[in-house]
Amino acid sequence: MTEHISKQYDQDLETIRSRMMQMGGLVESQIRAAIDGYMNGDLARIEAVIANDRRANELEVAIDNDLGQIIVRRQPAASDLRLILAVSKTVTDLERVGDEAAKIARMAREIHGGRGLAGIPLTAVGHVSEISIGMLRRSLDAFARLDAAAAARVVAEDAAIDAEFRSILRQLITFMMEDPRTISTSLNIVWVAKAFERIGDHAKNIAEHVIYIVKGRDVRHIPLAELEKEALG
Amino acid sequence: MPESRIAPRIAGNVAFIVAAGLVGLAIGYFVDDSLGWAVFAVGLLLLLAHHLLQLYALGIWLERGDVVGEPRARGVWDELHALLHRSRREAATREAELARALTRWREAARALPDGVVILDGDRIEWCNDTAKLHLDIDPVGDAGNTITHLVRIPEFVQYLEGGDYAKPIELRSGDGRVLSVQIVPYGDAQRLVLSRDITRFEKLERMRREFVANVSHEMRTPLTVISGFLETLREDNEGDAEDRRRYLELMSEQARRMERLVADLLTLSTLESSPPPPLEEAIDMGALVERMGADARALSNGRHKIEVENASGIELLGSEKEITSALGNLVSNAIRYTPVGGTVRLRWHVAPEGAAFDVEDTGIGISPEHLPRLTERFYRVDRGRSRETGGTGLGLAIVKHALVRHGATLDVQSTPGQGSRFTARFAGPRVRI
Repeated sequence: MTEHISKQYDQDLETIRSRMMQMGGLVESQIRAAIDGYMNGDLARIEAVIANDRRANELEVAIDNDLGQIIVRRQPAASDLRLILAVSKTVTDLERVGDEAAKIARMAREIHGGRGLAGIPLTAVGHVSEISIGMLRRSLDAFARLDAAAAARVVAEDAAIDAEFRSILRQLITFMMEDPRTISTSLNIVWVAKAFERIGDHAKNIAEHVIYIVKGRDVRHIPLAELEKEALG
Repeated sequence: MPESRIAPRIAGNVAFIVAAGLVGLAIGYFVDDSLGWAVFAVGLLLLLAHHLLQLYALGIWLERGDVVGEPRARGVWDELHALLHRSRREAATREAELARALTRWREAARALPDGVVILDGDRIEWCNDTAKLHLDIDPVGDAGNTITHLVRIPEFVQYLEGGDYAKPIELRSGDGRVLSVQIVPYGDAQRLVLSRDITRFEKLERMRREFVANVSHEMRTPLTVISGFLETLREDNEGDAEDRRRYLELMSEQARRMERLVADLLTLSTLESSPPPPLEEAIDMGALVERMGADARALSNGRHKIEVENASGIELLGSEKEITSALGNLVSNAIRYTPVGGTVRLRWHVAPEGAAFDVEDTGIGISPEHLPRLTERFYRVDRGRSRETGGTGLGLAIVKHALVRHGATLDVQSTPGQGSRFTARFAGPRVRI
């Protein structure tokens, strides 16, 4: 970012970026805790995730407020305006990711709170969770570094998640057909997988915001090849 | 006053001026006043021109900044050149030394097994390769970036901003590592972030806890049975003799189970704490394998077909007791998990890198997901069946330990429903063929 005559302005922008990153860190740890709780049946951890969702929501409101202030006071232009718009959209995406984490935790509570779960493949979502958590981490890293090339790589990863989601669905359907008693738990697992698929989508959105800041072009809804050319060019 | 070399040169210049003055004065006195002045002025101009020329040469040389290619000079300038040259050379040497020291320091810091990040305020100034591994910070690209934008773990952000760095904190990094992170403030708003990988310690600690929990559980089960029967016997005095006999039998069975468990635990602890097996004692493997075959037949009691293939001329150095216990465990497992009428084959033979002992059975087999964890203490594929057949859950842990102590490895191949093959591969200096 270029420096401004007003040091205060630079500092305000930096503070907003830091708070967004703080929110990113919070939702990242929420998802980790949620999937841990889901895999190990750790009910205390699961409850903590549900309770902490409030903090992400509060951060969203606070950052939105700061963004309003800076727009009114500084009337940002060019790259600053792009940064502010991207932060605003990213914060919305992060808040949704936080909601997905809480959703996973609620599903985990339902799955582990109920009857025994002999042989139900909880670990089916292991891979998809790893991909989407990795995507979110790398998209935020790309934001911190304003690295368009890394962001483009995150966008490309989204296809892997979609394929993985379909394969989980197939696996669970065979499972449900074999033993109808597992249907309700299996459906909950499908919801967990769906939540991770959504998290992957939000990570992809964040990566697109990064490309928008760096290259100044909106790359949503364009083919991947064109997006990559835009990011690397 | 130290001896100066520049003073005589200056004196030479003064002498030249005095001489020119004297000549001018003499000409003025004897010939003509203005001619005398003219001669003096020419003398001074010559001197000035000489100095200007030398000054020009020196200036150009300094401007170019070369250390070599120094212009030739005379008189007082020669001395000046020598001085300048010397100080320049010294500066260059000092600079090179400093650069070397800095490089050495950086290399040392880079090679540290702990991660080091130098922070100026919140911004990353420098970090080593280990920090890159631990915290995913790029030493080159991330200089100047704010650390909390990259290491976003809320606990870390809180620790960094809290300002209380008395104790390190534990963090779980993205790739599952457990890190111990400590911040050390120094200088003026500078901070050092040190990270250490404690995944292994954490895992050991967890294994220790699990082990204690498992042992207690394994001990409690037979004790519960025994004390239950004791209670029954005490309260029910006129029970019939047949029942009493049955109770006593069940109780002694449980007592035997505890005995076996304690014996296995003692074996494991001996294996862990005793010095490495002797390198000078040769084990009579031919006789040992024959004994294994005999034991297998005794254990099977005619219910299985036992085949023994015994190669001669292979010598193994080490502890006969440990090897007997390792191979014996493999053989008794094979018998226990093979249904009546199945075949168990024992083979002692030359293998590509040494020798190997195979135990092959046509038993129930093991699903692939259990294979990597088979040698863990108290890991059981099927809890009920293992206890039923008198297993303690420690057999394969003992096998693995005894084999590792002899530089050998355990290799398991198995197909559920078809059978398993356990291979102890011996290699290295302990095998002589």
